[in-house]
Amino acid sequence: MEFCKAAKTECDKIIAKYPEKRAAMLPVLYLAEKEFGHISPEVEKYVGKLLDVPPVKVHEVMTFYTLIAAKPRGKYHFQICRGLSCDLKGCVKIIDYLSEKLGLSSDETSDDLMYTFTPVECLAACETAPMMQLNEDYYGNLTKEKIDDILKENS
Amino acid sequence: MPKITIDSTEIEVEKGTTVIQAAEQIGIDIPRYCYHPGLSIVGVCRICLVEIERMPKLQVACYTPVADGMVVHTNNEKVQQARRAVLEFLLINHPLDCPVCDQAGECWLQNFYMQHGLYDSKMVEDKVKKQKALPIGPNVMLDSERCILCTRCVRFCDEITETHELGIFNRGDHTELLPYPGQELDNKYSGNTIDICPVGALTDKDFRFRTRVWYLTETPSVCPGCSTGCNINVHHNDHRPYKAGGIRVSRLKPRYNPDVNQWWMCDEGRYGFTQVDADSRIVAPQKKTRGDWQLLSWQDAIDEIATKIKGILKKHGADAFGVILSPQMTNEGLFAAKRFFQETLEVENIDFEVVAREKGYADDFLMKADKNPNSEGAKKIGLSAVDNSGLEVAQMLADAKDNRLKALYICHHNLEKGFKKEEVKEALSKVDLVIFQGTNQNSTSNLANYCLPSASFVEKDGTFTNFAGRVQEIHKAVEPLGESKPDWTIFRNLSKRLGKSMPYFEAGDVFNALAEEVDAFKGLSYEKIGEHGVLLNGHRASTEKEMGALVA
Amino acid sequence: MSEKIISKFFDIEDSHTIEIYEKHGGYETIRKVLKQWTPEQIIEEVSNANLRGLGGAGFPAGRKWSFIPKDSPKPKYLVINADESEPGTFKDRYVIDHYTHGLFEGIMIASYAIGAHKAFIYIRGEYIRQTERLVEQIEAAYEKGYLGKGIFGSKFDLDLIVHRGAGAYICGEETALLESLEGKKGWPRMKPPFPAIEGAFHSPTIVNNVETLAYVPTIIKNGADSFANLGSERNGGLRLYSISGHVKNPGVYELPMGIPLREIIYEHAGGLENGNGIKAVIPGGSSSPILTPNEIDVNMDFDSLAAIGSMLGSAGIIVMDDSTCMVRALYVVTRFYHHESCGQCTPCREGTGWAEKVLKRILDGAGRPEDVDNLVEIADNIIGNTICPLGDAAALPIQSYVKKFREEFEYHVREGKCDVKGQ
Ligand SMILES: Cc1cc2nc3c(=O)[nH]c(=O)nc-3n(C[C@H](O)[C@H](O)[C@H](O)COP(=O)(O)O)c2cc1C
Ligand code: SF4
Ligand code: SF4
Ligand code: SF4
Ligand code: FES
Repeated sequence: MEFCKAAKTECDKIIAKYPEKRAAMLPVLYLAEKEFGHISPEVEKYVGKLLDVPPVKVHEVMTFYTLIAAKPRGKYHFQICRGLSCDLKGCVKIIDYLSEKLGLSSDETSDDLMYTFTPVECLAACETAPMMQLNEDYYGNLTKEKIDDILKENS
Repeated sequence: MPKITIDSTEIEVEKGTTVIQAAEQIGIDIPRYCYHPGLSIVGVCRICLVEIERMPKLQVACYTPVADGMVVHTNNEKVQQARRAVLEFLLINHPLDCPVCDQAGECWLQNFYMQHGLYDSKMVEDKVKKQKALPIGPNVMLDSERCILCTRCVRFCDEITETHELGIFNRGDHTELLPYPGQELDNKYSGNTIDICPVGALTDKDFRFRTRVWYLTETPSVCPGCSTGCNINVHHNDHRPYKAGGIRVSRLKPRYNPDVNQWWMCDEGRYGFTQVDADSRIVAPQKKTRGDWQLLSWQDAIDEIATKIKGILKKHGADAFGVILSPQMTNEGLFAAKRFFQETLEVENIDFEVVAREKGYADDFLMKADKNPNSEGAKKIGLSAVDNSGLEVAQMLADAKDNRLKALYICHHNLEKGFKKEEVKEALSKVDLVIFQGTNQNSTSNLANYCLPSASFVEKDGTFTNFAGRVQEIHKAVEPLGESKPDWTIFRNLSKRLGKSMPYFEAGDVFNALAEEVDAFKGLSYEKIGEHGVLLNGHRASTEKEMGALVA
Repeated sequence: MSEKIISKFFDIEDSHTIEIYEKHGGYETIRKVLKQWTPEQIIEEVSNANLRGLGGAGFPAGRKWSFIPKDSPKPKYLVINADESEPGTFKDRYVIDHYTHGLFEGIMIASYAIGAHKAFIYIRGEYIRQTERLVEQIEAAYEKGYLGKGIFGSKFDLDLIVHRGAGAYICGEETALLESLEGKKGWPRMKPPFPAIEGAFHSPTIVNNVETLAYVPTIIKNGADSFANLGSERNGGLRLYSISGHVKNPGVYELPMGIPLREIIYEHAGGLENGNGIKAVIPGGSSSPILTPNEIDVNMDFDSLAAIGSMLGSAGIIVMDDSTCMVRALYVVTRFYHHESCGQCTPCREGTGWAEKVLKRILDGAGRPEDVDNLVEIADNIIGNTICPLGDAAALPIQSYVKKFREEFEYHVREGKCDVKGQ
């Protein structure tokens, strides 16, 4: 379990930006996620070694933040907002609809590793409520029809 | 120095003192869960909230430093309300386990909510489910549902042992204390986490369900496990040992000594006391006749041994007599031995040191490679062959093998720890009279002609001198098992039988005699040793050396 | 039309590039500053402009900068809070997307003022596109010599690093943010020491919100008075109001400090959808105590809102029309704070979860008469007793919703259902 040469170089570059090695924790975890797909216990230990941090402290970080994948995630990660503004604008129906369409309940990943479905807290795009994030991008003013279109484009 | 008022008592304290510490100085005990004087301050539990005049919000007493003119209220209505609130919050996800919890009786949650009359929680929702009764290391059990997330145990493993086994995972009310997955809490000091856990989340595997704590009495003492001499309390079951299978000593707990062990002790010492109630204890004088052990009364034992000693000395002279004392003995035992052997019998071959073949574990915190509590005392009393021009132990065994030694008096040692089994066996088989005096049988005692039962460290008063020259007291917690007696009593009795009486009635008498006679102890007296011990002459007070890593 | 500072860039194509920014006068100020201004002068100017911290707490920016110890041998850091996670707030995203170099210029001036040679932008993890934009524009700035050694040909060095968070609202709180930046879980620190004395990496650190810093170049360029005069007393300038919920035109509006809330809702956000009436308004992010229709003439500045028992906070306005169930609204808000409590201190860790469970039970029709008072008691017991203000943030809505809409809660408990039409 080790970074490839390019990733190692990238990792060293990240670490060099900070006054303390440990500060590179989140960026190095993101890099490791990109390299290895998710942060398995072995990766966790490896990151600990890279940053001179006991593995237990990496694990604390892993379990504290919601975005870094401890388990494999689908190719398409739907993070659909259930925050107040979205709730006011009827996101519950959209969330249920998407869940049904994907055949997944909260925090589930499809067996073929195509989809992960996660209702999340406010994504700071309330002006487009109801909204969601699919991988890198935000999709707003969601309707059932729009969900259908997005699913068609991403399958 | 800032002057502050706490609950209408004015007090002047050092700058930098926290409110909780200042209150302690005037006997006000502000409740605390997360605060521990030996660890960093985190202020997470919020039970120590107090009102400080001119501050809009309540402040945590553990973190807030005093400032001149501060007026603190630690128990007014507002403070009590906040405290009740924190307790109530802690109880909403806490299982109602008290009847089956080992901590019951010494639980800081139970104590406080009893004080605040909070039996019925308004919480009717389902509690958050977590791990129960999980062994997390050789000595420690974790019940995660009982954990109040004070982080003391985590800080202990991060700051004191720096072994980092424990972590706090997840967040919100799913926050959970656990060891790192796949890792055990198996550092050399893991038992301390049990002591500092304010509730029954971390409990002692060894002690689990053994006794209810309210049946226990505690007696201050010193760990005999190594030359550090950590201060301890011996917890013993005086009332119902039959409920505990005859086990009288239930557990050892560290006792605070700022100059030696602070709040801590090692697991080796903590769990190393089982010899005290073991089946191997020698409970009466005995002698071997045709390969069988036969019990004797003290009277007969002393008579027979005295007669034999006299005979051998007369026939072969003092050079044929070897004495192997032990750094496991108290200063008193050693001093009485010195007088008996050197003055009464005029024997010169006295030594105490048997260098262990297997080097004991040591670190830069508390644990020392010398697993004896009184090597320094023995040296200072002048019982090392190097100082007294007698034979060293190895030479005694060599002489025995060559038939030059006719009597050997061995205290406590298992000689196999320092020498090869066959060597010991061969040497001892050639000696006419082998007397073994000790607490437990071992392979050396099995080779003796006579065995005399010594009282163990929990069964007598006395003193040890630790590696830094600190003289510390042990105290009798339970009665000597069977016929056993403190070593010094045995030597006094033998000496009397051989014509020289020693006017000692208590351990203190021996110590005071020692203090008069031995330079290093001059000026000390038993009455003045106190709960934290005193340094021998020529030893510097609380040096870095003595404190080891504690001060680092 | 009133004056615009940041938002005038929202509609300019490629406004995030150096070229376009400079075409509109960008980076002139920092060049001047580096040549002609002393750090003390900048701090004074920003103080006189009445620039308040726009992340939520409203602490005067100039005063905060003045806390940096002058004689400390330690490095100083500037940390830019782009965590933007108070529900109902989304303005910093617009700043990053469209006023990228304006933000950088503010960062440069502030760094110079406090003597920082390293600045970190801590951006919420979900803002992946914004992270990309920042990284790409920072690279462009390095290439031009606007960042790095001797920026703009001066003797002043400045490195700017983007640090992406990973999904934790609490990391918007400045000390949790610093812990997170240092590679730890986001547990807020005990204070004091405040970050200005001991912040990131044990060194003096200033944490400022994105929007706060984005206004700095304009203040230095046009002078403190011209900025101060745009706003109300002690609340200088303009700010970006995020408005969402049941309004016709939700979005970000740059308007003066102290403008009446009613004006924002009806004149700028187009009033309510479907001609519905207002039931309640959150004025400053979901933690601010809720307002009823008769309170919306309040002026939107820190002091006026505080005077009526609420907060301007992050100026994230959420409008609820009369079809809204207040029990559900409070449940959603409370669920959020429960989800985001870091778990460190007892009242917040335990209280937020408890309150959410009670609210859920009421919504499910299993409420008990004592629940309503119990909710308030839970909130009372959290407020003021926690390490960081998240505890208060969770408790304030509970107190205000129950106080202002008590009948609705009681109806729910009594009848086991909602009596709001449309629910
Ligand atoms: C729970 C909590 C969440 C916060 N979230 C944010 C945030 O997302 N963005 C922000 O700029 N400030 C946030 N703040 C405020 C910061 O702690 C800090 O006051 C602010 O970043 C200072 O910058 P300013 O003075 O420029 O406003 C939050 C505070 C709390 C207590
Ligand atoms: S196990 Fe005990 S010591 Fe450790 S955090 Fe929990 S309550 Fe505190
Ligand atoms: S360090 Fe030595 S004296 Fe202390 S507890 Fe361990 S064995 Fe006993
Ligand atoms: S108030 Fe809440 S978020 Fe803040 S430190 Fe305490 S538990 Fe964490
Ligand atoms: S003892 Fe002070 S907060 Fe825990």
